[in-house]
Amino acid sequence: MRGIKRTAIAAVAIGLLAAGCGGGDKPIGNAASSTPPASTSTGGAGSGAYKKGGTVTIANVGGQTWPCQFNPFNPSVNQASNGFVYEPLTFVNVLKNGATTPMLATAFTWSANKDSITFTIRDGVKWSDGQPFSADDVVYTFNLMKQQPALDLYSLWTGAGLTSVAASGNKVTLKFKAPAEPYFFNFANQVMIVPKHIWSTGEAASKPATWANAKPIGTGPFTIGSCSANNIEYLANGNYWQPGKPYLAKVEYPAYLDNNPANLDLASGKAQWGGQYIPNIDKFYKAKSPENNYWFPPTANVAIVPNLDPSHKASSKLAVRQAIAYALDREQISKIGESGYQPAANQTGVVTPTFDKYFDKDALTAAGYDKPNQDKAKQLLQSAGYSSSNPLKLSVITVTGYTDWDASLAVVKQQLAAVGIELTVQDLQQQSFNQKLYTGDFDLAYYSQPGGPTPYYELRQLLYSKNSAPIGKQASSNYERYLNPEVDKLFDQYASADPDTQVKLIKQISGYMIKDVPLIPTTESVDWYQYNTKDIDGWPTQDNPYAQPAPYNIPDVGQVLANLYSKSAQK
Amino acid sequence: MRYLIRRLGFFALTLWAAMTLNFFIPRMMPGSPEQALRDRFSKGGSVVTPEQLRTVLAEFGFDPGKNLMLQYVEYLKSMVTAHWGVSIGSSLGVPVTQLIGDALPWTLGLVGISTVLAFALGTLIGTIAGWRRGGLIDGIVPPVFIVTSALPYFWVALLLISLFAIGNNPVLPNDFNYDQGLSPGFNGEFIGSVIKHGILPAATILITAVGGWILTMRNNMVTTLAEDYVRMARAKGIPNRKIMFGYAGRNAFLPNLSGFAMSLGFVISGTILVEYVFNYPGLGYMFYNATVSTDYPLLQALFLLVTLAVLICVLLCDFAVFLLDPRARTKG
Repeated sequence: MRGIKRTAIAAVAIGLLAAGCGGGDKPIGNAASSTPPASTSTGGAGSGAYKKGGTVTIANVGGQTWPCQFNPFNPSVNQASNGFVYEPLTFVNVLKNGATTPMLATAFTWSANKDSITFTIRDGVKWSDGQPFSADDVVYTFNLMKQQPALDLYSLWTGAGLTSVAASGNKVTLKFKAPAEPYFFNFANQVMIVPKHIWSTGEAASKPATWANAKPIGTGPFTIGSCSANNIEYLANGNYWQPGKPYLAKVEYPAYLDNNPANLDLASGKAQWGGQYIPNIDKFYKAKSPENNYWFPPTANVAIVPNLDPSHKASSKLAVRQAIAYALDREQISKIGESGYQPAANQTGVVTPTFDKYFDKDALTAAGYDKPNQDKAKQLLQSAGYSSSNPLKLSVITVTGYTDWDASLAVVKQQLAAVGIELTVQDLQQQSFNQKLYTGDFDLAYYSQPGGPTPYYELRQLLYSKNSAPIGKQASSNYERYLNPEVDKLFDQYASADPDTQVKLIKQISGYMIKDVPLIPTTESVDWYQYNTKDIDGWPTQDNPYAQPAPYNIPDVGQVLANLYSKSAQK
Repeated sequence: MRYLIRRLGFFALTLWAAMTLNFFIPRMMPGSPEQALRDRFSKGGSVVTPEQLRTVLAEFGFDPGKNLMLQYVEYLKSMVTAHWGVSIGSSLGVPVTQLIGDALPWTLGLVGISTVLAFALGTLIGTIAGWRRGGLIDGIVPPVFIVTSALPYFWVALLLISLFAIGNNPVLPNDFNYDQGLSPGFNGEFIGSVIKHGILPAATILITAVGGWILTMRNNMVTTLAEDYVRMARAKGIPNRKIMFGYAGRNAFLPNLSGFAMSLGFVISGTILVEYVFNYPGLGYMFYNATVSTDYPLLQALFLLVTLAVLICVLLCDFAVFLLDPRARTKG
């Protein structure tokens, strides 16, 4: 184990020498010049634009051999089935401000106060075993989640206040206790619809949560051809409802255990689709072939999480947090620590340019957080009672083996030293880190959480008081323990607000990010994505971001798979 | 006879002690299966509440609230009856026996064969080098292999990959245990592919492991050659080859045997680094993964296997000594 870490560090060290590329305020990448108009608009409308055939091989380290189980409700294994075999009602594109693409539902309408939604279920869809798909399947899926709470991964029946799901004809109506728009992302996009005729019999019916489901029947573009511990081979679903799609005949998904072999196979072109962090990517990957491309769209924040509980004297002091926020040069952290692959974040907590619409640049500038200000940081520290004879000492916990975070924190440490803060970086093993983070046993922590189709999702996880817990108890996502009733109120209003008001609310919430500094974002976490255009095209690119592009983004992977085509098969 | 009975009793006691440790040590690690799952899920881009994850894990039989002693008794029972349960880690819900069954043959094949090969080769070279002390072989081979045995596994592996598996015309594959397009079966193509994929990892283990055997065998050989019975054999005019293998080598070999028994026992725990670098889906890698995801059932079963393998090998070694060494019999 130690050896692995050492190789990784060596690789990063090499990466650092060649750093300084990219960065800036744009998501970096090198979108291929030849971007075909991938027919992303609506399913069903597109004609068979490309001939069928070809194979794509995915290199994404899952860190395990394949269990060959495809239960879409099993959070450990569903990455291999969701999007491939199972589909949601509506696809929500995180990279396009939550733009929707109809999938198994052709349309949806909210009630006036957004506490009930009616989906129109698509006609003419068939399961991969030939049985027709209908509104019954949708109702069955949601009701199964009610009967078996273990299946209800997104807590729709408990947390989101879902009260009933019923069909009439080809319409399915979901009723909620309260306005439920923020949960649309979960129930429309993340819940995979399963076939009633399979799931209502045998072991699937008696133990749906633990059922192995080795031969999944779905509506998605691919079916399981064969599966071994080493590799999953997907075959095109001949019954697929989008005419002409999928264009590819096969998908190979080998079980990569570690980054090194996966990265080598991407560089050599043996695998064409990657979701990998590759140190020094320009030299190691891009330079190997003009057809090797990458793009890293940012979706959430990597941040210094200060412990706001009063028992942590220094980090709970506003002036200290402000001083840190002023002292940081985020561009430099991005350039040196992340080799420019992750762009710099900002204090509003809104990820740019992905969510530019919600970004309040004026507020950021007015507060002086738009650029580093060491003098201000020093002043603030003085006002808080620290000086060179009584220096502020802080420690930050991070995860051993996250070499890019280590590099970023080395930069942070330097920048904080310049204003008189002594930062100690504690590399913890993953389990210890989790334990400390969840229970609030830290001064500062370096951490990142997944985002959502608008900044609301990430900010709510980070700042909503219900996601917090007292020190010693496990918080679900508000690890810094930020409790502010006014901010809670803004989150509560969001659910029933109209789109313009929602933007305003987010801006108000990011105002609290600036005022209270509950969190200090440093860089923006990205989707790691490499693609080879030698034979395969139709990739999502910076110019055509029709889905989150990494193979581990579910259910986005289904969008990409339905649009990829082989160039050699076109001749 | 008392010697044998004592050995067997000792075996049972050690096994129980090791199984007890195997139960408690993983539970004393920081973290919990629920936290590991949460972290894993969060990396996949989804946010699931801790309560929800506990509900999911409960479906798979994980009940952290239960009395620890009760869990311990159940654990002992299930270990003995081979009901090893299902994984609660990264392969949530997969029977542990299936996971181990998939990985075990590859580890046994790769690490087992290369360990035996390293031992045989090392012993042979050591015997010859010790026999011709100060000769050409003794001057070159042991020092070279002692240097290679000091090299880290993964470094040798990376070196071999960059020599043979990268570039425009790679000679050998750099990852996996067989070509992805093939389906396992007893046919020439598949077996050829397995061998091709095994060469580099096996060479890595061989290069790094053989040095130790050479050194110990050579030194034992040198000591044995100074014994009176060897001089006696020479005086009698027995052919050199017979003295080398039949008189000196046979006796010099004995101390190495117990070391070999131990190393065979450890074959089962695999070689994590080699498996990592070559993406070889064996047990060593599974061990690491089970630890990271706090997968108690899988960890327990793996620990049990390693413990059993080492203990059985040591026991067999004891029996062998009992048969070979008259002193052990009379003492008991």
